[in-house]
Amino acid sequence: MRLRSVLAIKCAKCTSYLIKKLNRGSGVTLPGYVARLVDPHILSAMAEMVKEKTIVTMGTNGKTTTNSILYHALKAEGKKVIINRTGANMLNGIISAFVLAADKNCRLNADYACIEVDEIASVRVLPQLKPDCALLTNISRDQLDRFGEVDITFNKLKAAVTSVPKTKLIINCDDVLSYTLASESGNPFVTYGISEQIFDDISRSEIRESIFCRSCGKKLEYDFFHYGQLGIYHCPSCGLERPEPDFTASEITWNDGLYTFSMDGMLIQSTSRTPYNIYNTLSAYAALNALGAERTHFQEMIESFDYGNNRESIFTINGTRVQLHLAKNPIGFQQKISLVLKDKKPKDIIIQINDTYQDGEDISWLWDVDFQYLADAEAASIITAGTRRHDMGLRLKYEDISCDSTTDLRTSVTRCTKDGTGNLYVIVNYSGLYSTNHMLAELEKTQEGGDMA
Amino acid sequence: MKLTIGHLYPDLLNLYGDRGNIQCFRKRLEWRGMEAEILPILSGDAIDFSKLDIILLGGGSDREQELVCEYLKSIKQDFKDYVEQGGVVLAVCGGYQLLGKYYKTDKKVIEGLSILDITTEWESERLIRNIVLNSPLFDTPVVGFENHGGRTYIGSHTPFGKVFYGLGNTGKSGYEGVVYKNVIGTYLHGPLLPKNPQVCDYLLERALKRKYGQDVTLEPLKDKLEHLANGYIAGRYSDKKYILKETIKRYT
Repeated sequence: MRLRSVLAIKCAKCTSYLIKKLNRGSGVTLPGYVARLVDPHILSAMAEMVKEKTIVTMGTNGKTTTNSILYHALKAEGKKVIINRTGANMLNGIISAFVLAADKNCRLNADYACIEVDEIASVRVLPQLKPDCALLTNISRDQLDRFGEVDITFNKLKAAVTSVPKTKLIINCDDVLSYTLASESGNPFVTYGISEQIFDDISRSEIRESIFCRSCGKKLEYDFFHYGQLGIYHCPSCGLERPEPDFTASEITWNDGLYTFSMDGMLIQSTSRTPYNIYNTLSAYAALNALGAERTHFQEMIESFDYGNNRESIFTINGTRVQLHLAKNPIGFQQKISLVLKDKKPKDIIIQINDTYQDGEDISWLWDVDFQYLADAEAASIITAGTRRHDMGLRLKYEDISCDSTTDLRTSVTRCTKDGTGNLYVIVNYSGLYSTNHMLAELEKTQEGGDMA
Repeated sequence: MKLTIGHLYPDLLNLYGDRGNIQCFRKRLEWRGMEAEILPILSGDAIDFSKLDIILLGGGSDREQELVCEYLKSIKQDFKDYVEQGGVVLAVCGGYQLLGKYYKTDKKVIEGLSILDITTEWESERLIRNIVLNSPLFDTPVVGFENHGGRTYIGSHTPFGKVFYGLGNTGKSGYEGVVYKNVIGTYLHGPLLPKNPQVCDYLLERALKRKYGQDVTLEPLKDKLEHLANGYIAGRYSDKKYILKETIKRYT
């Protein structure tokens, strides 16, 4: 290995050590930055040390869950796997994952690398990483203040995958944007898709990207929509159509809140409470196949898999069941509303909307969510929080749904758990996720202490 | 009383919460005991302008605007007559650009409706941030979010407002949007109307007067939440320390 790479790894490890010692956060991006300063080619050097295969996961929704499934599936086969931490999906975060995984001789002992990559970062990351496979979950509007518009995201992703022409793509062919991207890229690709209608009316979302054919400009026709622009489509003019997927999930049923489905001859009794996790599972399975990885323990692993990922956590506070959900773009939020409506019991709802850079400074997307359904959600109270709580309140007001607002989330949660319905949903966008998770865990702990006293 | 609101090409132009503007028109009429009919006009549909009291032309991506441009050609004259006869129009982002003569992107020139004597040229650096305007039409600031690659040159037209914080038409001119007869063209989304009920009521009143005569007035509504949302952004960008902090963050 080049001396420069060794130096880069050492510096990054020192940085990480210092950050932890000084208690300055989790230190998942700065070490990567330092490593890159010392050796600009560090990522290529590290990626070459992965013994078997490298796979990247990209797309608007479902990246983290899908990547986590891949990681656990490979671990279940006894493989050593590198993964980047949740959210650390920009260039520096990815470099950090590699350099911090190196041993004291600066060697990497890993069979696989599963890396989640941000859409904008993908243009720089992919040429250095040269992954064997790239999984694309779906493309829809997200953080338009960062991406500009969804076509820019599309073009970035396309530029990224065409820069590594040998990389095999794993594509959701129900998404016309993803499928067009794969067809235009010239990369080899395999497809996955679902031919049954599994999403209900509420989760379907009126907001669709690009239901116009990208080759001839005519409006696409759909047999049905899954959600957003995902569905079974064809172009009446040029003949573009949703292909028969290489991998599919079928016989999908929903019992007692959990999904069961068939996939490649297995009947999987999943722990998933939401239909989009079937997509995530299916895509990961298709990717493992494309990687040529063993899948002997897949069923066993997935049937006990925790899709939560801290993004859907459940707490018990003062006897109240408290669910924490992340909703950071219209498609994601719509799915959460559908989930809330499936629960027929009375409930209290707290929605926190922040507008930091990580969240997206533009909160227009709240108006792309069909909040009118919340009127039938048996909600005893709805409270808005976060920097843009009044925008969220306005959104509800213009559906004639009344709500209150709070500047003190902790107090509001405590009050809801003491005087509420015993069933509380806390929905937050990105920047509030970790602090709220932490706060709820703390409340759960302290009230246990209180019970004993 | 009843107003008919034509939402032009929602299948192509539906970015940035444009539905919020429609919902705002609808609710603020209904809350006053009036009726609102929303007519979504899809690409290819025929338009009877005599039935419309308000037209909303929303934002779309550059690619989608090119498709819209084809449909606009066929209604160009009718649209122009509607505007000259005092028809109310709210055009946001892409819709605002399309009211002008052309939008020149890096690849081609998209022909507009030529209703306004304005032109737009694409530059690679997009103008993206919160924006606060002071408009002579209103005594409260107009707040929103801008996100555009186009730089719009408005010539001798009257701007919608003076930029208090943000970038505006070209990023340099200090002004944002255009007001012409009963047309407001602007880059502000967020969406524009719910947070700026004064703008919504201004347009509603103009449309009602055109249809039912000059005596029509709008009774005030309880706009506490609207003012809190508006005031939060206006207040945030009146704070020099906050602006400095945000600027530092933006460039690091």
